[in-house]
Amino acid sequence: MTLEPATLPEDDSAIIARLGRATLARSERVLRRRQFRIALVFMAPAVILTSVVLLAPILFNIWLSFTRWKKFAGLDEFAGFANYTNLLTNPSFSEASTNTVIWVTASLVLPVGFGLLFALSLRGLPFENAFKNIIFLPRVIAPTSIGVIWFYVYAPKGVLNAGLERVTGSPVDIGWLYQDNTIMAAIVVTYLWQNVGLVMVLLLLGLAAIPTDPIEAARMDGATPRQVFWHIVLPLLLPTLLVVSMLSIIAGFGAFDLLWVMGLGYPGRRTLSLSVYMYFEGFSKGSWAYAAGVAVVLGAITLVVTWLQAWLQVRADGLKG
Amino acid sequence: MAKEFIDDLTGKPLPFVPADSAPRLSGSSWAILLLASICAVLWLVPFWYLGLSVFKTTQEYTFSGPLGLPSGVAPLWGNIVEAWTAAGLGSAFVNSAIYGVVGAGFAVFFGAMGAYALTRLRFVGRRFWFMLIFLGTIFPFQMFLIPLFFGYSRLGIINTQAGMILLYVAIAIPFPTLVLKNHMAQMSLELDEAARMDGAAEFRVFWSIILPNCTGSLVALFLLQFTWIWNDLLFSMVLGNRPEIRSVMNALQVFQGNYSSTGPNVALTASLLASLPPVLAFVFLRRHFMEGLKV
Repeated sequence: MTLEPATLPEDDSAIIARLGRATLARSERVLRRRQFRIALVFMAPAVILTSVVLLAPILFNIWLSFTRWKKFAGLDEFAGFANYTNLLTNPSFSEASTNTVIWVTASLVLPVGFGLLFALSLRGLPFENAFKNIIFLPRVIAPTSIGVIWFYVYAPKGVLNAGLERVTGSPVDIGWLYQDNTIMAAIVVTYLWQNVGLVMVLLLLGLAAIPTDPIEAARMDGATPRQVFWHIVLPLLLPTLLVVSMLSIIAGFGAFDLLWVMGLGYPGRRTLSLSVYMYFEGFSKGSWAYAAGVAVVLGAITLVVTWLQAWLQVRADGLKG
Repeated sequence: MAKEFIDDLTGKPLPFVPADSAPRLSGSSWAILLLASICAVLWLVPFWYLGLSVFKTTQEYTFSGPLGLPSGVAPLWGNIVEAWTAAGLGSAFVNSAIYGVVGAGFAVFFGAMGAYALTRLRFVGRRFWFMLIFLGTIFPFQMFLIPLFFGYSRLGIINTQAGMILLYVAIAIPFPTLVLKNHMAQMSLELDEAARMDGAAEFRVFWSIILPNCTGSLVALFLLQFTWIWNDLLFSMVLGNRPEIRSVMNALQVFQGNYSSTGPNVALTASLLASLPPVLAFVFLRRHFMEGLKV
């Protein structure tokens, strides 16, 4: 709310002229102070709740990771970087980290790859919308429910083995979710099934926003569809791909539901990913300080990815302009 | 719901190339049509399996094989009753409904209040206050778990509905604040200035002038946050693990952990039931939701 003399009726501007500039500045200051007090009241619920329930725990968690707090042991002992050096030497942590890297890579590359494939190749097909809807459908189901459904799809007497039996003609009873060499691939397939539809929709929105002029110009000049795709469409789609990829990576590091539910019968469930490992170390073993350290590592990774995205975004925008 | 959702979002023709010369990644469109059909069938198999299984008794499930047809539709009722009682889904539904409605409702309202202050009032440091509200969501949930668990234990609100609601309200605030901030920034300031000239109290300006102009966004945000809270498993496992206050997803997870006691048919029925409310909410409020997305 500004007091701009030009827009005020004549009477008022005469008054303001008489009062002088100093008074005007003072009343503006008074106004702002008053508005700030009102603003504080309006922001209070949001600020207090997010500070107390979200920000304070983050700080407390960081501090915890520098203590020796364990089950039945006090909080008071400062440990320096002991928890972090433990992390580096602990074989379970490296196992969980390796699995996390595999999981994040697969849950990034496959949905984005297939999402792009679907977005481009379903266009213009008969029943185009039916195909898109079917691919998107799993997205409406809760991840925990999906975990339960696919747990039985992969069961020794489940759908997958029944299908394989029909194809090979001999009995199959592979416990897909019980063995080291199949469980991660099995969960990744489920994740792909659930999420490729959303990636496809986001990429379709990105494609729809691409201007037609450069494409038409290129086709006038005799460019093949393939050249148009690689030299015009893909570069223009890059910002969308970037956002989708970064969201995907962050979601991958935090993913818990599917891994937890589908890892139910797996002996190595504890180290399926860093998020599951953190839960186990804290809430089953009671190594609170150590688990807090794992959480800080996850937080640091997320921050780096977010920062990287912002940086790449600026560069991508610069390229476009 | 999914059908209309996609139609609205992407039904518009993509402008970048006419369909007949769209960049094909392989061969003729017949091959693509065949591959797409195979994909569609594969994508539907789990739904087909789910649809068959909820109509089978445990005995039938064991003997018919996972993709065998059920002999009738009668067992569905028994499966629902068993999921409702044995899995504790009944009380969990009530809990999740409370968490979702109260949590999302307050979160969107508080977010709207914050957004109002950040866009309609003039004061120094608005960026700072916004970042303060938004900062918590940048970090992964794992960083909240241990401090919240101990803070809640100390305050005696662990395993209580009030504690769960407190968490869900707080964690669901930042996103609506961001969206409504962008929305309200686009609305003309003349609206509220006129009202203030007439001497309307600040809250009245917010309540009867600004909020009614955001209905679409408010409904969309409420649905998104409701769905998020309904689907949350992690916080529910850490802060609300007592049977009486378990959320639906937590009850489902616990029930699946005891899977030997009942057949997969009951667990599958439970997982279908657990997923229904957000879908139904989207179906019923779809029009508002799409309006909200357009802004």
